[in-house]
Amino acid sequence: MGEPSATRTQTPRLGPGQVALEPADPIAQAPEQVRTSYRFSDPALSELPLDQLLDELLNRTQEALGVDTVAILLLDTDAQQLVARAAKGIEEEVERGVRVPIGRGFAGRIAAERVAIFIADVDHADIRNPILREKGIRSLLGVPLIVEGHLVGVMHVGSLSPRVFGPNDLAVLQLAAARTAPAIERASLAARLEHEHNVSVTLQRSLLPKRLGDFVGVSLASRYLPASEEVGGDWYDVIELPRGRVGLVIGDVVGHGVPAASLMGRLRTALHAYAIESYGPGRTLELVDRFVHSLNEPAMATAAYAVFDPYSSTVQYAAAGHLPPVVISADGARVVDVTPAPPLGAFPYGRCPEHEFPVDSGEIVFLYTDGLVERRGTPLSDGIEALAEAVRGASSPEEACLAAVADLVPVEGLRDDVAIVALQNSPVPSELHLRLPAEPRTLAQVRRILRRWLVERGGEEADVAEVTIAVSEACANAIEHAYSPAAASFELDAWGDNGDITVVVRDAGQWRAPRGENRGRGLSIIAAAMDDLQVERLPTGTEVVMRRRLPRP
Amino acid sequence: MSLADVHISHEPGALVARLVGEVDMSNAEELGATVIGATPNQARGVVLDLTQVDYLDSAGIYVIHGMRASLQARGQLLVLVIPPDSPVYDTLRLSGAERPGEVVEELDAGLAALEASASEDA
Repeated sequence: MGEPSATRTQTPRLGPGQVALEPADPIAQAPEQVRTSYRFSDPALSELPLDQLLDELLNRTQEALGVDTVAILLLDTDAQQLVARAAKGIEEEVERGVRVPIGRGFAGRIAAERVAIFIADVDHADIRNPILREKGIRSLLGVPLIVEGHLVGVMHVGSLSPRVFGPNDLAVLQLAAARTAPAIERASLAARLEHEHNVSVTLQRSLLPKRLGDFVGVSLASRYLPASEEVGGDWYDVIELPRGRVGLVIGDVVGHGVPAASLMGRLRTALHAYAIESYGPGRTLELVDRFVHSLNEPAMATAAYAVFDPYSSTVQYAAAGHLPPVVISADGARVVDVTPAPPLGAFPYGRCPEHEFPVDSGEIVFLYTDGLVERRGTPLSDGIEALAEAVRGASSPEEACLAAVADLVPVEGLRDDVAIVALQNSPVPSELHLRLPAEPRTLAQVRRILRRWLVERGGEEADVAEVTIAVSEACANAIEHAYSPAAASFELDAWGDNGDITVVVRDAGQWRAPRGENRGRGLSIIAAAMDDLQVERLPTGTEVVMRRRLPRP
Repeated sequence: MSLADVHISHEPGALVARLVGEVDMSNAEELGATVIGATPNQARGVVLDLTQVDYLDSAGIYVIHGMRASLQARGQLLVLVIPPDSPVYDTLRLSGAERPGEVVEELDAGLAALEASASEDA
């Protein structure tokens, strides 16, 4: 021993001044090296996170070999470069993010040839990394980091004084390398998985609605819970439709990870786009099914689309391979008996039948994905029954979501992701006291809530239409008055008993005489539609008081 | 989301604009501009079908008056389709104002009215 041997069947391609080394026979190791080997097989090392482990291994290597510098470079597969990851004595390598091309220089050659390389004199060797020279390193020894035949990086040690690294030194360094390589491999695998998990969680989150929107006459709640292992393709959506109707969507793309989240985003967009064109639930799902087939990629999803009409208190519903909805009432919960069409993407040109069911005042329609009710070894119907039991009697959509998650999500985490969206047909209060933004788009919302309120107060169809137009005209006046920032909102109060209703619209703006034909026409509409009209010009603003008998005699 | 949609079709010598939804100060002007913008110069006029309008208020009436004036300036006619039991009919009744154009109850009658005006000219 002592002199580097070169007993290889194939001579590695080395640069000038580089010598390939073979390790010493481990059995011939001196007893003192047993201690050295223990330094690297210490079980306590296993408990350290990667950064601390590398730090500890660098320290122990430095100590065992009595060297001035130790460095670990990792393979960047895409770039085919080595990147400095951890270092002692030459911390600049890491700080400056040194990159060495595979096959070039000292470390690059070790990686390319997968051999240990000894450089006795740095000055006369092929060294690419200027830091090694800057630091005044005279001699170097490096080994490849290999896991299951794959190169993961290079580890090297250096001496500031000329030194001949022998086979025993090499054996120690290889011991350190053998301990380092699998830890790096495990950590980078974990980092890769973590990265993919983060990407898909971010993607999934970005594809779900940011907020549910404000809808008159309904309240809403939703949940998305990712699985503990991997994100999936579950989604929900809430869609504003003409004439006060609200669309609720729930869906589940088959698969996991980024591909499922990405397909989910496309399906959610497609469904939303068809829905706002006022296609009914059945037709909408048929069109989305065609969209899925047109993708020409293996894609399958289940989905349900429900359209709630606040005036008839009914839901139009269609499902493609999706689990049945649950309707929650004050005294219970029922699973709605609906037959779904096959899943989206299953059979071309499928028909998707529509169902109608009532969701009475105060009731909640609850849509969910199978992750909520599916448990290994338990029939699906049991899971759905357990859900109905958990949510029975919930008084709001939020309460229903809370109850379902509390009772059905196992403490150890979800195996599949879960999406929930729930809508309540909110009971209309007997009096309205609303503060509303002074924007034109408010008018449609006012009409929606007022129509429902008038129906509850016993208004006939014609009464409802006339009072609605009168109040909407008064609100339009208030919005036009809001030409100062202080008047950014206005108030609407409505009450009534014994068939007499009073509606007051109050704004903080200065009254101005109706300008032109149009506003004058608005006032004559109010006067014609109501039994009594008073316009009060107060220092604080304008108040329009309207009275009317319901039904009109 | 828009409160109303406008569906435009070109009949011989006429533009038919069918409004679906609700018309108020949030969308009336835009709807009017869309219809006027789509009307070719050579058309006799516009048939504005309000059969499927669920709500129309004074802002809507105002814009219809404006449309009539714009078309008139180009020598074109505005015919409104308003069935007697429709919400738009109620609004016109409540407003008590003059009708903002020739009113018929059905689309075919609207097209016939434009045809008639053409033959009067001939």
